[in-house]
Amino acid sequence: MALLEIDALSVHFGGVVAVADVSLSIEPGEIHGIIGPNGAGKTSVINAVSGMVVPQSGSIRFADRELAGVAPHVISSFGLGRTFQHVELFGDRSVLENVLTGFYRHQAYGLLAATLRLPKAARTERNTREQARNLLDAFDLAAFADTSAGLLPFGIQKRVDIARALAAEPRLLLLDEPVSGMSETEAAAAVTTMRKLARDHGITLVIVEHNMRVLMNLAERVTVLNQGRLLASGTPAEMQAHADVIEAYLGDAA
Amino acid sequence: MRARVLLILVGLACLAALPLFATSYYLYLAELAMINVIIAVGLNLLSGNCGQISLCNASFMGVGAYCTALLSTRLMLSTLISLPVSVVISALLGAALGYPARRLSGLYLALTTLGFLELVGIVIEEFPEYTGGIRGLKVPRPEIFGFSFQSNASLYFFVLALTIGAVVVGYNVRRSRYGRAFDAVRQSPFAAQALGIPVARVKVIAFSLNAAFAGFAGSLLAGVVGFIDPPEFGVLTSIQHVTFIVVGGLGSITGSIAGAVLLTALPEALRGVQEYGELIYGFVLLGTLLFLPRGLVGVVAKLKALRSAKPSAKELAYGAP
Amino acid sequence: MTWRIILQLALSGLSIGSIYALVGLALVLPFKASGIVNFAQGEIVTFGAYLALILSGLGLPYLAVVPLVLIGAAAFGMVIERILIRPIVSQPEFTLVIVTFAIGLIIKAGIRLHWQDNTFSIDAPFVGPPLALGALRLNPAYLVFIASMLVVVAALFVFFGYSKFGKAMRASALDSIAARLMGIRIGSVFSAAWALSTMLGAFVGLLLGPVIGINPEIGHLILKGLVAAVIGGFSSLGGAVAGGLLLGLLETYAGAFFGATFKNVVPFGVLILLLLLRPQGLAGASSARRV
Repeated sequence: MALLEIDALSVHFGGVVAVADVSLSIEPGEIHGIIGPNGAGKTSVINAVSGMVVPQSGSIRFADRELAGVAPHVISSFGLGRTFQHVELFGDRSVLENVLTGFYRHQAYGLLAATLRLPKAARTERNTREQARNLLDAFDLAAFADTSAGLLPFGIQKRVDIARALAAEPRLLLLDEPVSGMSETEAAAAVTTMRKLARDHGITLVIVEHNMRVLMNLAERVTVLNQGRLLASGTPAEMQAHADVIEAYLGDAA
Repeated sequence: MRARVLLILVGLACLAALPLFATSYYLYLAELAMINVIIAVGLNLLSGNCGQISLCNASFMGVGAYCTALLSTRLMLSTLISLPVSVVISALLGAALGYPARRLSGLYLALTTLGFLELVGIVIEEFPEYTGGIRGLKVPRPEIFGFSFQSNASLYFFVLALTIGAVVVGYNVRRSRYGRAFDAVRQSPFAAQALGIPVARVKVIAFSLNAAFAGFAGSLLAGVVGFIDPPEFGVLTSIQHVTFIVVGGLGSITGSIAGAVLLTALPEALRGVQEYGELIYGFVLLGTLLFLPRGLVGVVAKLKALRSAKPSAKELAYGAP
Repeated sequence: MTWRIILQLALSGLSIGSIYALVGLALVLPFKASGIVNFAQGEIVTFGAYLALILSGLGLPYLAVVPLVLIGAAAFGMVIERILIRPIVSQPEFTLVIVTFAIGLIIKAGIRLHWQDNTFSIDAPFVGPPLALGALRLNPAYLVFIASMLVVVAALFVFFGYSKFGKAMRASALDSIAARLMGIRIGSVFSAAWALSTMLGAFVGLLLGPVIGINPEIGHLILKGLVAAVIGGFSSLGGAVAGGLLLGLLETYAGAFFGATFKNVVPFGVLILLLLLRPQGLAGASSARRV
């Protein structure tokens, strides 16, 4: 059964139709790319799935739960995480604290325990801190642990964004242009990490990109959007050779 | 880190020794400063960390003060009961304001808190049978198990102990998941939600905590001053509270302490020119906002950064030149 | 409840509502231009009244004082905008709100420093015994309030609808980037909006001063202006005017039927209800974006 099932999704903003009648399904453990030129509606699809935007019509089912109209933080609690095109880090907090924030949902102590720093709270914080440091190590961010997130170069911020999203232990991670702004080496490293996430930790990845090259080595299947509509769907190789896809990208680097 | 702990211990020692050589007037001043510290810590959680503007902080202080006053004069309840009850009532009221206001921000939130402030003021004035109206209310000294803190020294230590407690609570909140959630909600509500943080609920918690701190401070204030009246809980006081955290440093416990102490001492230092009090407050606030947006704490941080040899973020990322 | 009393109350409500409307307009103008609410607006009203006091103390008749105060207030507004507001426009809303509060604090403290809390009075041609119109007794001040509001609204209507600069201001409010690209100097628009707004505020001070006396607490009516603006959704000038009149009428009738306590509660009750239930105001306009 598909982990994420999007059916006839439409997203409108006032008079503008950002997404029209898009359907796609994503299997557990898959690495799925969503690609398309600018304005194709890719980010709108992510926004709709993560609950930031309420769809005009259509249904979004995650592990057999309907997501449309559900509050974003509740959607996240179902096991759906996301990263942001423009990063959205907590700029004046350190990298470590950013990642620690990702553990919010899994830290099971209440306000009273927090105010009095009861043993349960202290213990939970210690454990989480250790887990956070492990995540930083996995993403090669240990050196920046105490640096203010807002001061870091964009490429590194993107890594922090991913690490933070993983702290919430999602089953499915939506990545919005995860390698944009990264150098060649950084991007290659990011791709390797993402592949490892999927293989070793079984996290399903949905990656939005406008650069087909990145998805060539990474995605198992790719859905192509154009002007809010579903254009084609298949393996990256198939999409690269697809006549309509090439035409949609006329002038764009394939 | 060690230096910091040492500094705190020395500071506490000085505070503990104060009654030995300070006159009753300066003890009183110290108590006011400590009460302001409690207020600043609470307000900083809401406005500095969680980014929610509040112009009605003085109202919650007033709620705490009037609750304590009524509970101790009408029902003859000991401070042991009246203080926590006042705090709880303030906290509930804070949640009552925070809940419907959770979707508001910036201007509209400011206006809502302003409206709330005015409403509370009207309630205080329109029920003089309970609140004493514009003529105010006399409040007895705090009293626990029959021991009344009548002596200046005992009252001082009582306030000192409670202030330390409040600061510790504030510090605990800040380094807990709630403190991180507050900052997250301020800086990027979208990212916060994507991480499963219930933004609206967090805002209500922030409002409630702030109200609890303010109510706590108000209760103490009532007992320390011995008299409360409506002008103390108006918009000017709320602005003064905001000044504490703006000057001290938004989002910082140290900033709250520094700002509160400095701005309690300032009007006193300028006793001779007392009429200039409000004018000076206005200029201090304006000046800090224009030139020192990160407050005193920001100035100290800048000085430390200039002197330290720690690598910058860029150096860390790309290697030192 | 006779016809006569209802009409009297209506007149009274509309006249105080006109004052609220003017203050509301003064608040919405800079908000539309630069996204900033000037919480010092109440003190601008007070400033206008005291400026009038100074000038009439020099021996000038009221009608000569009026234009001088308006010009002085406009200049004052432009100075504040240029020196204090422009540098911080990009700061978070928290800072902007508190800065305008601080400005108001300074103005009020400065006034109190010199004049203390005494109430002064000045003469004005519209302060006098009520005129009789049939069975109605019309307070000439009330009529002047209403007439002034109408004149101001008409003037603004012409200005924004037909003058080049007014259209430039409307364009900037809608889309400042596009406006800039079309050659409109945003800085001038900001300054003009603030100047207009302080002029309006001072004008209210000019109207109220002779009638209720000049003292530092006049500025308290900013809250009524805020409610008026909120009723209009804080984005519509017409809405602010309607809001002010509505508030004036509500207050007056509430006071007459339910007593003074209720009267005081009306504005804040309305404010909170609107903010919580319908922040876009009765006019239902879209939310204004900050520049």
